[in-house]
Amino acid sequence: MLLDYDRLGALRWLLGGISLAVALFLLLPILLIVALSFGSSQWLQFPPPGWTLRWYRELFADPGWLDAVLASLKVASIVTVLSVLLGLLAAFGLVRGRFRGREVLRALFLTPMVLPVVVLAVALYALFLRLHLNGTLAGFVIAHLVIALPFALLSIGNALERFDKAIEDAAVLCGASPWEARLRVTLPGIRLGLFAAAIFSFLASWDEVVLAIFMASPDLQTLPVRVWGALRQDLSPVIAAASALLVAFTAVLMLLAALFRRSKEP
Amino acid sequence: MVMARSDSTIPIPPRIRRPMAGFGLVLPGLGLLLLFFVLPVLALLLRSVLEPQPGLGNYAEFFGSTTYLKVFLNTFTVAGLVTAVTLALGFPVAWFLAIAPRRWSALLFGIVVLSMWTNLLARTYAWMVLLQRTGLINRTLINLGIISEPLALTNNLVGVTIGMTYIMLPFMILPLHAAIRTIDPAIFQAASLCGASRGQSLRRVFLPLVAPGIAAGALMVFVMSLGYFVTPSLLGGTANMMLAELIAQLVQSLLNWGLAGAAALVLLVVTLALYAVQIRWFGFGRTAG
Amino acid sequence: MKTLKMILAAGAASLCIGLGAAGAQAQSMVFTSWGGTTQDAQKAAWAEPFTAATGIKVQQDGPTDYGKFKAMVESGNVAWDVVDVEYDFAVKAAQDGLVEPLDFSVVKRDEIDPRFVTDHAVGSFYYSFVLGYNPDVLGDKAPKSWADLFDTTAFPGKRTFYKWSAPGVLEIALLADGVAPDKLYPLDLDRAFRKLDSIKGDIVWWGGGAQSQQLLASGEAALGMFWNGRLHALEQSGTKVGVSWDQNLTAADMLVVPKGAPNKDAAMKFLAQATSAKGQADLAAETAYAPVNVKSKDLMDAATVATLPDQHAAGQINLDMAYWAANRDAIAKRWYAWQTQ
Repeated sequence: MLLDYDRLGALRWLLGGISLAVALFLLLPILLIVALSFGSSQWLQFPPPGWTLRWYRELFADPGWLDAVLASLKVASIVTVLSVLLGLLAAFGLVRGRFRGREVLRALFLTPMVLPVVVLAVALYALFLRLHLNGTLAGFVIAHLVIALPFALLSIGNALERFDKAIEDAAVLCGASPWEARLRVTLPGIRLGLFAAAIFSFLASWDEVVLAIFMASPDLQTLPVRVWGALRQDLSPVIAAASALLVAFTAVLMLLAALFRRSKEP
Repeated sequence: MVMARSDSTIPIPPRIRRPMAGFGLVLPGLGLLLLFFVLPVLALLLRSVLEPQPGLGNYAEFFGSTTYLKVFLNTFTVAGLVTAVTLALGFPVAWFLAIAPRRWSALLFGIVVLSMWTNLLARTYAWMVLLQRTGLINRTLINLGIISEPLALTNNLVGVTIGMTYIMLPFMILPLHAAIRTIDPAIFQAASLCGASRGQSLRRVFLPLVAPGIAAGALMVFVMSLGYFVTPSLLGGTANMMLAELIAQLVQSLLNWGLAGAAALVLLVVTLALYAVQIRWFGFGRTAG
Repeated sequence: MKTLKMILAAGAASLCIGLGAAGAQAQSMVFTSWGGTTQDAQKAAWAEPFTAATGIKVQQDGPTDYGKFKAMVESGNVAWDVVDVEYDFAVKAAQDGLVEPLDFSVVKRDEIDPRFVTDHAVGSFYYSFVLGYNPDVLGDKAPKSWADLFDTTAFPGKRTFYKWSAPGVLEIALLADGVAPDKLYPLDLDRAFRKLDSIKGDIVWWGGGAQSQQLLASGEAALGMFWNGRLHALEQSGTKVGVSWDQNLTAADMLVVPKGAPNKDAAMKFLAQATSAKGQADLAAETAYAPVNVKSKDLMDAATVATLPDQHAAGQINLDMAYWAANRDAIAKRWYAWQTQ
């Protein structure tokens, strides 16, 4: 009954009410950022004294912003793919495996999340200087992969643990090879975990600023580094404009995905 | 693998007793971690016992200073508080998401994911603007007559909690949502058939089933909160300075890498110890039921 | 076969020589600063004329990060040639052996304000800490001295100070407590912290220029200490601000060459360009920071000159960077201890 929406009764209002409040809570800063990006005041005042498109014009006039967005996208995409892949393999190994020291390994895989990023940044930077990886795309990807992997492992590992292995075994019984069973039965079964792993890995890289400062070079600057530099010096709603654009872009993507799914339903 | 293709017997895949079964799958990720995390970080942490003189001087300084210990305690307090608030708000939302009709759940899901997409600094500045004494929230409350003096919502623990809860909520909601979705609703029918009331169902069936999901989400949020410094730096007062901010100052401003390494190592050890405790309590590898 | 090999070898050799010669002409160097509009201005005022004059390309990198700085110097694999750093860091870096001594046969030392040049660093630009206030919040009350900053009865409201352990705040507290400017150093830390304690509950800290502007413009802070350039930008954008230059405290950003920089010669030439009268004048016109070259004022128009800290030299106090470099760690310890109480 607790998982049946129609039979919840009074509980439905409680859950719905809290969800509404949280939804508004989550939306509020986004709406503010969008509003500020059209405000005519350089200082973050709400309500703004006037409306303007000036910040968007500035944004498009400066190729540096577009380069930064593309650099961020490139790094984050590669990191996401690798992180989910490595996380998937490691999750299978840690959850299904039967070797000693699984707990220790699991804790080890978590440590990049615990250690303050700046310590990792300095340590990795010193290593990369020796390997001549600093300022390269490979170096950037490796650095972000290290901090994204724990997210992927946690999400996929949890999903895998909850997944009933009997279904996979049944597929093998029906004639599938073990890997075929995993690919066609288990993976769809843990798709929520895979999705979370992908999103978290992408965002871990997309929003990351400390490692990015160390890994950056004149030719390779991600968006957070640019925003960081801009915010140190001058407050400017250009950053709000950049954020608003990305939000709009993502919202459109999500809308398209939802419509696409809707059209595929019978 | 034996696959007998006789239609008189059902082939059962034999249990392969390999001592290191599955280790090979872990190897790529492990290799990456060892090469590009363990080794370089250890080299840096080694400086904590080598600089400025060999010995435990940095640790003595860390534990002997009330400042560092206070900041350390602050960090865990704030992380714990944020985790608790995020759990309290995130659990109902995840529950709702898992069972609501498609239209509402898709919209809510979209909002949750969208909130993660704005740049971290932009989000934090937005909260600064909202929470200021002359900000939107205070002005609305004053206009509505609920308060007469603006509330101090920023530059203190309240501001940090609000700011960090905002960032951490999706990290709690998504795993919890996934956990709730895997529960078979039929279980509750079975429970009520056995005579369980709503409350009993909640306590003795639902919560134990989602406990691993809660543990996973809480762990992620807690651990992430320990390492955050951007948001606390902008929204918190200096009285609640977090360890990550102090370590950043030590590394990038004071260039005292020995002491920074010592502080980082202490943080690491304490956190892993807490994680070990959590494993003992909740265990892992234990599936639902 | 042997002839073919010889021909190939000769061809390869001449190719290498040719490329090498071409490479020597297409030299380049890396200039690192803090990003944002200031670095854009530095690029326009210094890098572009430099490339036009010498043919040496200047790549922009950033933001300056001292951890990165130290790591690259220690490893011997230095990626930066000229770096814009804070003054007290420049002095400390020199003490720690992290920077190259400057070549003053290339950089004209006698044209530079002696306050902003050392053997290892030369001024990038200088600025002052001044008292700023929001007239909309304070009404017709106008604070004038640092003591007013600590007077919560006459000037109620939150005040904002620079958050990090750096030159400025402690000196202001001592001056407000009545210490004579020439008796400021060595800093009486106990006295300074006692004075700050008197208004601790009313302090809102700013960690960066943008944040300080936001706090004042929104009225969240009624008054405080600011970089003069930030207040100037506020005025230019149409926000009303009040400024008091009494006992303003000078500080500077400095340009240094990391030890082991790969393009030292180019770096020195760049420094000569950056600290030239014209280079400094152009930067000042763009940013409202002050030039370190004493001849720059002749190249600037009167309106800009009027906004410079030089106009308020009476009562101006220079922060002692050597003292700060020597006592950085000790002061930082007390600073954080006091802040987290």
